[in-house]
Amino acid sequence: MTGFARRLAGKLLTGLVMVWVVVTFTFFLVHALPGKPGDVQYEQYIMSGMTADQASAKVQAIYGFTSHDSLLAQYGGYLGKLAHGDLGQSISYSGVPVSHLIWSALPWTVIPVLSGLLVSFLIGVVAGIVAAVKRSSRWGGLLTVSGSLVAGVPAFVLALLLLVVFHTEWNLLPDAGTSDIQYDPGWNLPYIGSVVQHAVLPVCAYALLSYGGWLLAMKSSVVSVLGDDFILASELRGIAPVTRARYIGRNAILPLFTVLALSFGVMFAGSFFIEDTFDYPGLGDLLLKSIGTRDYPVMAGAFLLITVSIIVANIIADLCYTLIDPRVRR
Amino acid sequence: MATATATLAASARRRRPALAAFRKAVTRKPGRLIGLIIIVFFVLMGICGPWFYGRLAVDPNALYAPPSAKHWLGTDFAGSDVLQEVVTGARYVLATAALSAFFTSLFGVTIGLVAGYQRGVTDSILMRLTDFVLTIPGLPLLIILSTVWSFGSPWQMGLVLGITGWGGVARAVRAQALSLRERGFLEAARGLGLSRRHIIFKEMLPNIAPYATMQLMLSMIAFVGAEVGLFFLGLVPFSSTNWGVMLNQAVFSGGAMETPDALIYLLAPLVCILVLTLGIVLFLDAIDELFNPRLRERA
Amino acid sequence: MSEVQVRGLTVEYQTSAGWLPAVAEASLDLRAGEITGLVGESGSGKSTLALSLLNAVPAPGRIAGGTIDVAGVGDLTRLTGKQLRKARGGSIGYVFQASQNSLNPLKTIGKQLLDLGRSHEVADLRALIARALDLANRMGLDGQRVLDSYQHELSGGMRQRIGIVFALVLNAKVLILDEPTTALDMLSQASVLEIVRKVHDENQLSTLIITHDIGAISEIADRLAVMYGGRIVEDGPLLEVLRRPTHPYTKALIGATARITGDVEAARALPGRPPDLTTVARVGCVFRDRCPFAVAVCAEAEPPLAAWEGERRRACHVEPTTVLAGTPAAVGEPA
Repeated sequence: MTGFARRLAGKLLTGLVMVWVVVTFTFFLVHALPGKPGDVQYEQYIMSGMTADQASAKVQAIYGFTSHDSLLAQYGGYLGKLAHGDLGQSISYSGVPVSHLIWSALPWTVIPVLSGLLVSFLIGVVAGIVAAVKRSSRWGGLLTVSGSLVAGVPAFVLALLLLVVFHTEWNLLPDAGTSDIQYDPGWNLPYIGSVVQHAVLPVCAYALLSYGGWLLAMKSSVVSVLGDDFILASELRGIAPVTRARYIGRNAILPLFTVLALSFGVMFAGSFFIEDTFDYPGLGDLLLKSIGTRDYPVMAGAFLLITVSIIVANIIADLCYTLIDPRVRR
Repeated sequence: MATATATLAASARRRRPALAAFRKAVTRKPGRLIGLIIIVFFVLMGICGPWFYGRLAVDPNALYAPPSAKHWLGTDFAGSDVLQEVVTGARYVLATAALSAFFTSLFGVTIGLVAGYQRGVTDSILMRLTDFVLTIPGLPLLIILSTVWSFGSPWQMGLVLGITGWGGVARAVRAQALSLRERGFLEAARGLGLSRRHIIFKEMLPNIAPYATMQLMLSMIAFVGAEVGLFFLGLVPFSSTNWGVMLNQAVFSGGAMETPDALIYLLAPLVCILVLTLGIVLFLDAIDELFNPRLRERA
Repeated sequence: MSEVQVRGLTVEYQTSAGWLPAVAEASLDLRAGEITGLVGESGSGKSTLALSLLNAVPAPGRIAGGTIDVAGVGDLTRLTGKQLRKARGGSIGYVFQASQNSLNPLKTIGKQLLDLGRSHEVADLRALIARALDLANRMGLDGQRVLDSYQHELSGGMRQRIGIVFALVLNAKVLILDEPTTALDMLSQASVLEIVRKVHDENQLSTLIITHDIGAISEIADRLAVMYGGRIVEDGPLLEVLRRPTHPYTKALIGATARITGDVEAARALPGRPPDLTTVARVGCVFRDRCPFAVAVCAEAEPPLAAWEGERRRACHVEPTTVLAGTPAAVGEPA
């Protein structure tokens, strides 16, 4: 096996172990929640006239286990269902599979997050380079502080500010929902136009979340690379300025992959606030709503998916880094 | 045989020049002094603010009143003075942030120090534990925990944030401890026959404290964000008002998004959070330079 | 005929106390076919001098005066932009210390050579690579393998040699080596010096070697120049200077070098510390505080670097015969 394949296998294995740990953790978490899961439903079903077997079966379908089984059996049942991609059924949306709910919510989180990430990366990296090159001047310092400030301000503060400015004050952009109600969903232009219009503010909010991080990381990386021996060496060897810029750029971008890995966690955390504020039916919103209705299967499923997404994103970022840095490859 | 109680790290000797260096770092750029002033301002507001006010008065005749001489920032949805709410709310926010920092450092520093000192199996176990805590995303976990535990009071909130957030500190402290180890610090101490507890608390801790303090100040921003956020999302019960509560009320009950009247009620705590964050960020610049002299640009 | 003529070069750095000279009124000749060793302690300004030969003094420094005439190029202090860039590497080659990572860690050596060629608008890149391979092989490297490697895959000695390849591949006639033996073990030191001499002879270069190690440089240099406090205090043919040093500092430097044969005790350290930019004396001779031969005039006027006995130069108020004859009996005590 080549070195790369071995490393890939190692990372995947670690990832799988982490996912398993998270799955187990989620299982016990759900069990720690008040009202033994399944029991409440079981009682309700019995009371509504089902036979014990029917009630059991229904609970089994929702959770993957019933509270009558031993803990180990419950755990086994849970894992078994997971392996089939079955996350149980929602309680509040009776009978609807959790995976279905998650699937329809996922795009409303992933697409704005990725768009925001891309926008903030582009702007943040450029700003970081400027901040590094002009770091002794007043503008450079100001830029840096702005980056730190934006990085430190909580997500929903940003979202609220955006709303206040662009909706309440200027009424330029809508405040809620993914699109105007009058348009039929589908691949038609008015609907898509409306979706885009409604998406501007959330995407901006996501972009603001990680912009600070990109700026600060890029600035510190560029400053560090500028001090490296080979940059001076390239100048003394008469290397053309454009080539030197490429040398600096590629070396400086490298450490930013760790920022990328971190950003996913930040983005998902921000999704709760952003989706709540803008009334966007994404994963974060799903989790919040399920808390309100004590819909345990959905809660567990959403939590699991969010955590696993972050782990997977981290692994991918890690692998990309390995691919690009020859010092890590063998 | 004289018992050597003097510490190898002569921290006492360092104290006076440290104060002078601190003052110089802070006054070097005007921004940092502003940051310090802002922080002090809010701390004072948190400590002394509530003394000036009695109970929150409710005035049904003056709902969402605009700013006036009587109510500098107007009133909220129940007719209560917004300024009073902002000032008294500061105490909760800052107290919780401080408590979160306390618990986070309690867990994180202890675990990091022990792991860095012991190494071997203990270190491995503790690091696996830390990795686990770091992998589980904090906010979703907090959200789920809020269903079982209503951690409304500053102590409870601080404890919960500490429990979920010590991972980063532990890892950073451990890295510092390992580098101390490289510098032969620990071997010298062991050679002198100093006890393990002494080594960890009297030798390693003072050397790690500055770096840990800086990390903590950074995480203060995150703590403020987390606690205000949890209130904003309506996941935690509130007994008295604080900035997060105000935001929640403003957006979800007061319709501040629509009516310009309620705007001040929304903006007041928002601006406070912004300014406090700005203050910490500006001031952190000074601390950063103190502990990272390499970053100092040439005058 | 000199490839490089330095006259009255002054390089300043901006400090909290204003602009201070790191190199003051330096004059030096690098002649074709000669290896000149520039010796000095840290803070003597030798590295600054080397960098200024490429007009590459880093901020906050600047060349404040003087000329650097390179044959075929002109006064480097007047060059800017593309002309200056071409001169760097094209006319003068600079070799970094072995310990420094002077190459881009993300690209192979070969690709970086191509970058070098393209930057200097070399028409025939293939010939460039062929020349690089030839140079590398002559220095004992497996040329092709090295060209396909990344920097981190090479040892310190290999990096040093590749640095020399980069400096010579464009047919520069002047070669500057910065501390080529520092950070290398004894065996590598010897082989690097051997390679430098060989490469120098084969290409008839004008070579300048910056070092603090008199012993190492004495192996291959033709001329020796000694720097102290930003000034060149003595220079001349190597053996002449070594055997009959006429400057108190040179004499002390040689005296402080432990010999492999003979009594270790005979090596005497010079008391005090070499000055740096901020502590160097502004009036009079920069060495007088540590000089056992100092007299009254040394505190008042700085001695000029004057010719003496053919090709030698010295900057000292005291008569050369006095310095030659006198053993610094009471080391450190002014006469």
